[in-house]
Amino acid sequence: MTAIVAQPLQAESNRKIEESKQRMKDSAFDYQPIDDDERGLWLQMDEEERSIKLSKFLVKDPALNEYVRKVLCKTVGELNCQATRIYIMRTPHFNASMAPNGMMIVWTGLLLRSRNEAELASVLGHEFSHFENLHSIQSFRDIRAKTDAMAWISVIAGSAGSLASLGLLGLVFDFSRDMEREADILALDHLVDGGYDPMASSAIWEQLRAEMDATAAERKVRSRKDKNDGFFSTHPNTGDRMEYLRDAASKKDREGKSLGADEYRAALLSWWPRLIDDQIKLNDFGATEFLLGKLADDGWTPELLYARGELYRARGKDDDFQKAVEFYRQSIASGAQFSENWRGLGLSLLRSGVKEEGQAALRDYVTRQPDAPDKAIISMMAGGN
Amino acid sequence: MCRGSYVMKHFGFGLFAATLLVAVPAQAQFFFEMGAEKSATKDGFVLPDDRAARVIVFRPDVNVGEQTTGGLNEPNADWTKEARTALNAALENELKSRSGEMKLMPDLAGEEAVLIDEYTRLFKAVANAAISHKLFSGDRLPTKKDAFDWTMGPGAAKLGDLGGGDYGLFFYTYDSYGSVGRKAVQAVGLLIGVGVSSGVHIGYAGLVDLKTGELVWINADVKMGGDVRDSEGAEKRISQLLEDFPSSGGRGKKVGAK
Repeated sequence: MTAIVAQPLQAESNRKIEESKQRMKDSAFDYQPIDDDERGLWLQMDEEERSIKLSKFLVKDPALNEYVRKVLCKTVGELNCQATRIYIMRTPHFNASMAPNGMMIVWTGLLLRSRNEAELASVLGHEFSHFENLHSIQSFRDIRAKTDAMAWISVIAGSAGSLASLGLLGLVFDFSRDMEREADILALDHLVDGGYDPMASSAIWEQLRAEMDATAAERKVRSRKDKNDGFFSTHPNTGDRMEYLRDAASKKDREGKSLGADEYRAALLSWWPRLIDDQIKLNDFGATEFLLGKLADDGWTPELLYARGELYRARGKDDDFQKAVEFYRQSIASGAQFSENWRGLGLSLLRSGVKEEGQAALRDYVTRQPDAPDKAIISMMAGGN
Repeated sequence: MCRGSYVMKHFGFGLFAATLLVAVPAQAQFFFEMGAEKSATKDGFVLPDDRAARVIVFRPDVNVGEQTTGGLNEPNADWTKEARTALNAALENELKSRSGEMKLMPDLAGEEAVLIDEYTRLFKAVANAAISHKLFSGDRLPTKKDAFDWTMGPGAAKLGDLGGGDYGLFFYTYDSYGSVGRKAVQAVGLLIGVGVSSGVHIGYAGLVDLKTGELVWINADVKMGGDVRDSEGAEKRISQLLEDFPSSGGRGKKVGAK
């Protein structure tokens, strides 16, 4: 029954979407929703955006925002990127999202895990693809149509219809996965147009999966990299994504495309300490050690050594404090000037039972940073005033 | 609805499916409540009788949409905007008649905007607690049986300074008008003997004493009347929301028909 009714409705629905996609292609910046349902969604997201703007987790650093915007514009084009408003949220998890009204949210955990500009670009491009292909309103209309049918089935067929209902619900998630796949693939063209190596989109999944393995190894449990929500999965399995992206990317023109590793590192330099600090506080030793190791591919910088010290000191098992002392010392020896090194060194020495030297290092910290927020407690531990 | 996060690491994701089937906000579970409307006032609280109470109205949480055949809410931009305007106008009149002086909290920026947003969210949490744990049965807390003592804390006084008032009024309305399809399913269901609800109209209003931050009055209704999209309906809705609004000491309650 639903199939007969659905055919002409589906055709009309397709026509409307194609029309909207064309308007979006003409000018993403000028695009305004026309249909009632789409305008309703935009209104809801506008309300959400009001709150996001006031969030305490919003990262306001102009330089970082400018950089992320620059990468987006390079990927999707200057005109297109004007339609987007980027909000960087400070949370150490890997994710980004896109709302139908042009609001894009990027989590700082993503910034920590991207190793180069191309990888960041692949995520930003994927999110933008959702926007320019009107996935939100398509998704809403799809869910609406299917739940409409489910309501009829449940009333008319009663319990006998529950399997059919479940089938329809499954199709909703199918559709969601299809759209995610579509966004993944369409983003590859954006990457190539922006001069980026499309293989980066697969590499980022490879790394994430390896990170999840590292987490599991340290905790001595099974890796969760292939765990998904089964029937309710809205995204394809990460292993599948990694593979079909690798496959699709290999067929693109990769000649002369760059990864932008140096530019990326330079842009994120001032943020590493904060991002790593957030990451350490997740108490996921395996993942953090893995990430630091990846970041240190071209050598252990003073910042990375300091971070490793913080990581080991945070875990504090067995001989972690002694190891931490070593890392802090190495960081100082390679020229690091930031005072936190001496704080970490002092605290680790104290926890290792080396009192005098520990207290001396803490005093060093207070001297180097007289306006430190934790001055009072550190001074007390240093045995002084 | 936010399309596309890059990876949805959601725990308890089965809830997503549940929301597709029962796509109304949490408050609507009070659907099956015998008493659709409940209110509570702090013991002995009255508004001052020597002057008009200066009531700051915070940006109302107004949502108007259409309920699809399947029970989803499809937000409607025009209806929501119309309702917001109509409700604000009706509120101003209603408060005047209750010897209250209404001021809308202005749209501020920067740190002040952050503060207002924080307290608005806090109010939502407090109101929901009062509604869940005192007003309606099902999850009542024994310690709240005779007590009505929720507070947003003394920090709320800052809001009083920002808006120039003594009391803060927050209100929330959610309307999802049953679509033609929804009503059709309901009709067919009725014939067969299957109950299908149509339309969701819920709302609550709360009054906070900004000097102390205490919630002094709350009124919640899960079957609100009045079509909020026009001025007459909005007046009826506000009238219902402000039912049992605290009277001023010495004077009786508002006289006159609703």
